Parts: sequence; structure tokens; C-alpha cells
Amino acid sequence: MDAEIYIDNNSFIHRIDPRVKIILFLLTFVAILLFQDPIWMLPITFLIVIQLAISGAFVNMRRIKYILIVLTVSSMILWNLFSSGDTKLFWIFSVESLTYAVARTMLMILMISAGMILITSTRNEELVNGMIRLGMPYRVGFAISTALRLVPTIVTSTITISQAQRSRGLDLESGNLLERLKKFLPLLVPVFISTIRSTNIFGMALESKGFGASEERTFYLDFEMKTSDYLVLAFGILFMLASIYFAIMGYGKIEGLVRA
Amino acid sequence: MSEPIVSMQDLKYRYRGQKGFALEEINLTLNPGEFLMLMGPSEAGKSTLAATINGLIPHFHMGKLEGDVVVMNRNTKDHSVAQMAELVGMVFQDFEAQLFSTNVELEVAFGPENFAVPREEIKDRIDENLSYVGLEGFRNRPPSTLSGGQKQNLAIASVLALKPQVLVMDEPTTDLDPISKMGVFEITHRLCKRDDLTLLIVEHETEEALFADRIALLNKGRLIKVGPTREILSDVALMESLGVMPLGIPRFFKSVGVSEVPLTPDEGVEVFKSLKLQVNESAYNDMLVKEKADLEKLNDPLIQCRDLSHTYAGEVEALKQVNMEIHRGDMVAIIGQNGSGKTTLAKHFNGLLLPTEGEILVNGKPTRDQGIFSLGKSVGYVFQNPDHQIFSEKVYDEVAFSPRIRKLSEEEVNQRVLEALAAVGLEGQEEEDPFTLTKSGRQRVAVASVLASSPDVLILDEPTTGLDYSEQRSMMNMVRRLNENGSTIIFITHHMWVVAEYAKRAFVMKDGNVILEGTAREVFSQGETLRDAFLRPPHFVEFSHRLGYTFLTPEEMKACLEGVHN
Repeated sequence: MDAEIYIDNNSFIHRIDPRVKIILFLLTFVAILLFQDPIWMLPITFLIVIQLAISGAFVNMRRIKYILIVLTVSSMILWNLFSSGDTKLFWIFSVESLTYAVARTMLMILMISAGMILITSTRNEELVNGMIRLGMPYRVGFAISTALRLVPTIVTSTITISQAQRSRGLDLESGNLLERLKKFLPLLVPVFISTIRSTNIFGMALESKGFGASEERTFYLDFEMKTSDYLVLAFGILFMLASIYFAIMGYGKIEGLVRA
Repeated sequence: MSEPIVSMQDLKYRYRGQKGFALEEINLTLNPGEFLMLMGPSEAGKSTLAATINGLIPHFHMGKLEGDVVVMNRNTKDHSVAQMAELVGMVFQDFEAQLFSTNVELEVAFGPENFAVPREEIKDRIDENLSYVGLEGFRNRPPSTLSGGQKQNLAIASVLALKPQVLVMDEPTTDLDPISKMGVFEITHRLCKRDDLTLLIVEHETEEALFADRIALLNKGRLIKVGPTREILSDVALMESLGVMPLGIPRFFKSVGVSEVPLTPDEGVEVFKSLKLQVNESAYNDMLVKEKADLEKLNDPLIQCRDLSHTYAGEVEALKQVNMEIHRGDMVAIIGQNGSGKTTLAKHFNGLLLPTEGEILVNGKPTRDQGIFSLGKSVGYVFQNPDHQIFSEKVYDEVAFSPRIRKLSEEEVNQRVLEALAAVGLEGQEEEDPFTLTKSGRQRVAVASVLASSPDVLILDEPTTGLDYSEQRSMMNMVRRLNENGSTIIFITHHMWVVAEYAKRAFVMKDGNVILEGTAREVFSQGETLRDAFLRPPHFVEFSHRLGYTFLTPEEMKACLEGVHN
């Protein structure tokens, strides 16, 4: 099974300079956080959906669909619990709190999508490289990319381990919540141990190939800003400035919302 | 006499938190351009010794180091691992964990990048080293999509890109199938001809030691003997006493009283003829007839595959219309290259996978109707890596896992656990923490934990991988005892000698098909077909084959020898 997150399909988004992609990613976060009202979040949502489609990141979103569903349901309930408004509907729900909960849920899903677009369309090395050229120390950049690299490793070993335990009679589908949680122990311990073991070898291999041998370091991957990169960046900055302007002017708030 | 390139003087090392020394009184020098093979049983300190050369010891693994390791005038104590990296390259056993880039090209670039090699030169080094290991057509592929052998070749290329003077490989082929092993060895054969590179390889495959200039035998942290290859390989008794696999051919000739023993099949045939030895035809035929008759007694079908096909994710066709039958009481080996479908097939036997076409019957009923939970009671499956299933703090609890899940009474659980532990030779270790056991110990715990649900059929996926020779023998002897006590055994293996000595029947797989089946002897007599499936019989079998017979073990051949009496 292929557990890689990066999808090598060379789309327009893949070809954007990684530095621009990282900046856009950060700008997207700001734009998402500015508004409370879901209507005002629609423009950024629209942009993100287009990017998901172009980059092919929908495939990866589908892989984590269960996580997304759980997050959506729990967020819809929690935000209604922790906020209220004048227009009561029933139980904990009011029009204001419901609207707010939708916005907060969108915020979460959009942030995940933005991250997914970035890592679906950018190689690990490009990401590190981009972060470093934006001024981040090499070791910090490398640490982030290592964390990302661990995900496929853990997924693959989890699949094998769950098969091994099911062969021994482990049945994850029955029992109440507490019993089910207890059943995850036979999965978690081996996943943990094998991850530690492989991280250890990873560390040795890293040093054995001269990681940190000298202050200077070449980067084999090379990229230069193209006209299209400047255009994309300019569009991103304009979009953000416009968003900030509208937010300062007081648009995108929910009238009568009371947060707990 | 030129200066040695690596010299170890009075080297002593103790891991932090351990009482005993892992290495003691090591004095060893490596001369420029030579190829030294380091052999020894598990836990002998082979990897530890290898790790001292590039400074992983004492910098990565903290501990107490005495004595000196000097590589080209650099004392490892005074230089970091990264600084040593331009002199000493290191390839590890685990080919998954040592690769971390998103494509092949960048993997090779990583080392030179760290030493600030100019981009143009990195490009040249990538070209040169990828073509050296035969991966030039894979430049843009993510390493995760390569086969195990290709991954290991890539690891070698990525280390060679640093242009090291010394290349250390720690069991580079242990986890590989025979064809991938050959691929890696083919590269090392070319490497050892280069006089600008000194090689130190830790390896269990004795047949490959034939290519080394010298062999060093290590046991309990001490060098037992270092000498020219021929001298060490001829010392069958010493190797056996250390738990290192001796070659079959010298073992045979030693047993018939020859002192200057041949090592290779070619030499063997020559010496056999010059000594005018002869095989007794009627004894040989009697053996074949008896073997056939024994196998025919097993005729109660337990597993039946009918046009069994399996396609992963609607794309990858892993099994193509497999038809096979496994009988109750048999001891069956499934062999073939990685990706030939062995594990996919075996996972159908206990219902982990269901056929996408065709059907599979276990005990006369389709596995689809039985389900993995109930099928698991009669078909036990031991996964390759024991660390993928062990999670308890005590051996007892680990083994009790299955019986407890099946809601047996504590009394019954207790009885099953004790029986299972006795069967694998771990009596009295119930209270041990499984994580502190050796690999072979953990492997035994894994087998016991499957035995505890007292299955009729036991499937073992590569039970001998990662174990040393004597551990492999004792593991397989234990499995054979289970078979003699009535269990049906199915094992997947890459070790051909294990098939030769332990399997009653063998199935050879290639590209999702069973291309050959029969007794181990029948299978090994089909040299052509085996090669076609990228497998190779052991030297000893090949030697007997050249004489016109198929003998699986030296003992067997000796028993059929004219004029030799036991």
C-alpha cells in the first residue's frame, strides 16, 4: 500500500515556487481567522476548493474522511454548547450559535485543507528548502519535514500490526467504548515501539551521511521565482489586504452572538 | 606494507546502563582495498564493532569506550559521526528506515549536500552512482515504491556518493529475498575489486564469504579468529561451535575424513572424482521411494485453493488463479521472490484476506463463511516481525492474549500458556519482560502466543529471518517437533537451506502463480525453473546435482556413499 502524502502529478500548484506556497499557506490562515460569519468565509472557501481540485489533494482528503467527519460532528456540538444567541431554536441551538458553529467547523476543515494542499503538492525537500530560504534555520526545517515523513511510516506499520493482532483474535468492532479503547493497547504499543526503533536507525543513517558536517550546505534542488509565481503571490497579498479591510470595517460579524 | 586504513587498538566498549562489555580486547586492522567479512552469532557484538568505525560509537550510542579506533589518522573519539562520514560510509540492515528523501535522486544528493559539494558535481555523483547500482531509470521515483533490493541498492549509492574510503555494511541482505540478495552481492563483488575502497561487511550468508579476502569471527564481544577466507571456511568445527553456518561442501568432505576440504561446487566435484567416491545407487533409490511413500500418506485435504485470485485496490493483481492443496500433517514451504504473492496467499489461509475471485476452502468450508475470528482458532498466523505483535509487559500475558480473548477459564488459559511456552523452549520465563529478550526469544514468544490458541495449522512468515544459524536451527527443530505432534505447518522463507532440510513439500511462486510444486528434492532438482523464479539452491545441493543426484544435506549424502559406513 502506498502511504505517501505527496502526489506527483505536476499540476499548476505543484509548479509554484515552494516559498510562495508557504506564504500563501500562512496568508490563508489569516484570511480564514478574520471572519465569524460563514458567508464571509465563502470567498476563501471557494479558492481552497479550487486549489484542492487542481492539486489533486481531494484524494488525500478522502483518506482522512473519517477524521473529518468526527471533527465536524464534535465541533458542531461543542460550539453550540459554548456559545448562544437571542434567536433560540431548541435545546442548545440558536440561530447565532448554529451559524457560529458552522463557521468554526469551516475554519477547521479549511485549515486542514490548506495544509493538505501544501503537502500534497510540495515535496518534503522543497518544503524544507522553501522554509530555509524564507529564513528558517536548516535544522528546524528538517525537523518539520521529518515529522511529516513519519506519517506514512506509521500508517504502514499500523496496517501490518492490526493484521497481526486480528490474526490472534483481536476484535476491534465489538464492546462498549471503554472496552474498545482498551483493545487499542495491543495496537498502540507495537506501533510506538517500532516507530521508536525505526527513528533510531533513521538518526544513525542521517549522521552517517554527514548531517550537520559543515556550516555550509548546498541544496541540490534549485528554483527561481517565475512571473507566474509573482502573480500568484500578488493575488494572495491583495486578497488578504481586502479581507483585512472588510474585517476592520466591521463586516463578517455575527450580531447577537454570546460566547461562553 | 602500506599503512592500515582502519586500526583498532585494545578496543573495549560498554553500552550505557549495561554491566557487561559489548566489545573487549579488539585489535584489528583493515588494509587499503581489502574486503573483510565479519561473522558471528547473534549478540556477538558485530553491529557494535561496525558502529565504532564511523564513530556512531561513542557519539550516537553513549557508553564507555576504551582504546582507540583510528581511520586514516582520524581518531573517532575526536571527530563527530558527520565528520567521519566523508571517510566511512555506513549501510544498515533496515532499508526502510535509512532512506528518507522523496525521490531517488535527492536521496543520493543528501550526503554531498551536507558537505557543501557544488551542485554541478552533485549532479555528476548522482549520475555515476545511480548507474553503478542500476537505478538510473528510477531517478524521480519515491524510494517507497522500490522493491526491498532496490532500496538497499539505493542506500549503497547514497553512501558511495560521499566517496568514502571505507564502506561498512551491517547485514545489508538479511531482510532481502534471494534475488535481491544476489543484486546487492553483485554490487559488493564489483566494489571489492576497486582498490580505492575498503569493505567491511557483517553477514550471515556464508556462501558470500567466499568473495572476502579475510574473515573475522566474533563471539561474546571478542575476536575469536581472524584469517584468510579459505582457512576460516575450512574450519567447519570452529564455525559450528560458534553458531555460524558452515558451508555444506566442506562439511560433507570433513565428515568423510578429507582434511584439505574443497569449498565451492566446482572444487567439490573435482575432489569427489579424484577421491573416486561413489554414490550407492540402490541406497539413493530406496531413499527416494521411502520419501515418496511417506508423502503419499498425507492425503487429507485441509486447505484447497480453486482459481484463487486476489487483486489489491482493484489494480494490482497479486494472485492469479492459484490452484493448490495442502494436506493435514504436512510441512510446507512457500518460496519465491518478494512480490511473488507468497504473503498474500498465506493471508488467505486464515481469512485475513478474502479472494477477489475463485475460492479457498479451509476444512472444507469457504473462508468467507468462517470469518477471521473463528478461523483464527484453527489457523494460527505468526507474522514476520515479532515486534509487530508483542505489547505485554510479561511473557505470560502476551501468550495468554488469545486464549483470554476467546474467554477461556483462567485455569485453561494457564494450562495453554504453559504448554505453549514449553513447546517453544521458554519454560520458566513467564515473568520476563518480552522486550528484553533477544530477537530469537521474541520470535519464540510470538510463536507461543499463536500456539496458545492451539491451532491445527500454523503459518509462519519468515520464521528464521534475522536469526543466526544456531537460532535458525533450533527454531526450525521446534517447528518440526510441532509438525511431528500433528500440526500442519506452512512457512514462508528466503532461506533455501531451511527448505532443503525441513520442508516436506515446497511451492515455488512467481508473479502470483505457483510455478512449481513437489518435495523439496523435486523442487531443487529443477534448477532451470528455480532460476526462472529468481531462486538458487544451496551450494551443497548444486554440488550433488552436478554429480547427477539431488542430495539435500551432507548427512544424507554420506549415508548413501559407497564404501562409507557410519
